[in-house]
Amino acid sequence: MKNYFALLLFFFTSFAYAHGPVRQDTDETITINAPADKVWGIIKDFGDMSWHPAIKSTDIKGGNDKGAVRVLTLTDGGTITEELKKYDDVKLSYSYKITDMSTAKTITHAGQEEKVPVVPVGNYSATISLEPQGETTVVRWKAGYYRAYTNNNPPDEMNEVAANAAIKGIFTTGLNNLKTLAEK
Amino acid sequence: MFTLNYRVVLIALLTTASTPLTAAPFAYISNQLADNVSIIDLATNKVVNTVAVSGKPAGVAVSPDGNKVYISTPEADGFAVIDARKQQLLTTVKTSNGALGITVAPDNKRLYVADWFKNTVSVLDASNLEIIKTITVGQSPSGLVVSPDSRWLYVANRLDNSVSKIDTHSLTVKKTVTVGEHPFGLAIDSTGGRVYAVNVESDDVTVLETAAMKSIATIKVGALPYAATLALNDSRLFVTNMDDGTLSVIDTDTLTNIGLIEVGEKPEGIGTHTDDRHIYVANWFDKNVSVLDAKTLQVTETIKTDRGSRAFGQFIAR
Repeated sequence: MKNYFALLLFFFTSFAYAHGPVRQDTDETITINAPADKVWGIIKDFGDMSWHPAIKSTDIKGGNDKGAVRVLTLTDGGTITEELKKYDDVKLSYSYKITDMSTAKTITHAGQEEKVPVVPVGNYSATISLEPQGETTVVRWKAGYYRAYTNNNPPDEMNEVAANAAIKGIFTTGLNNLKTLAEK
Repeated sequence: MFTLNYRVVLIALLTTASTPLTAAPFAYISNQLADNVSIIDLATNKVVNTVAVSGKPAGVAVSPDGNKVYISTPEADGFAVIDARKQQLLTTVKTSNGALGITVAPDNKRLYVADWFKNTVSVLDASNLEIIKTITVGQSPSGLVVSPDSRWLYVANRLDNSVSKIDTHSLTVKKTVTVGEHPFGLAIDSTGGRVYAVNVESDDVTVLETAAMKSIATIKVGALPYAATLALNDSRLFVTNMDDGTLSVIDTDTLTNIGLIEVGEKPEGIGTHTDDRHIYVANWFDKNVSVLDAKTLQVTETIKTDRGSRAFGQFIAR
């Protein structure tokens, strides 16, 4: 009986980690009319994402050290857990990945219940970096990820189009607001 | 003026037609998000041509004679065939809609295509590209390698955490062995005695002795490893670590790590030059290929490719 449960758990875990065949990317840049140290001052703490309008609060464990974990609570109540993978105070850059997300809604697709995560992506990792250009700064935010649906023939809510639209939306909103904050 | 240009073009065309391009050595890099394949001349390390291949090209296999390149296209339900001498698309073939892993047998007689969703491997006659048989394997088959004598096919069953050995005569699964978590890329040595399975989720490599299909070692590597290649007479194994942007270097005698090399972001497909010394790595996020020397463990060159460079499989002719 114990083995049976172990097997069930195994299949469930395995299934949760699969992904679509084509990894997607989003790569956005913005030029901010402020020096890099000012922009870096706003985003440098992995545990403070208040510069993004969609984030209500951030809980952090581990500061800016590799392996630090933050839980982002969105303005609509959902949560995203992210782990810091790389942090470089000299290159003004850090990379992180999503390790967990809350469910936004449950849909029925191909006779199965599917949980649509708050951001419809899987295996998501991202890097944000600054490039000083005199009195201005180029901010680059890029991410690689798969669609949220792990099987063939995804529903509209969990396909590549949905994934790309969500990330592009998050990046554009965030970068525009960062520009506003830094140019104040 | 028009006439002159016309004549120049005509002469250029005739010259190309009368001097066929040599087949090898070239590297064929699938750029999945750009829907094309970069062809790198390994003598100069320059991209000499880019061939459009629709359907999100991913897996690559080069025929042993270097004449044909097979590119799996998961969003076009099969694979594309490139004429390597003319460096142009020859034809496309439908297999099924999760085609990803692809390989060609060393005797050039058969082609194997794994289906990521259907849990099958399609076996095709390489001479007419017709399906001979479809074999059911484990869940989410991905990496494929064939023994040097073409007798055995090995398949990484990603979601089953196993590798299967398939008899290419009877086209049945002979044995399946458990490896680490989520094996993806496979590498086989030149004797066919060992297969290395790269386990994406457990961040390690399982070393299999193929005769008994027995695991003889598990070697820790970096985060989210993807694929591997051998160099220097099978003495060193190079593994791409996607999350770290590095290659782990393993001594295949002691089965220990002997180096870590920084490459680009999200390194995926990896292959060895026909000189058995230079390693080529596709950096997915950086849209380029790193070239490194297996002896000195130094990156010697970086070659610009296109969006989503993946090059999963044997992208350089043996």
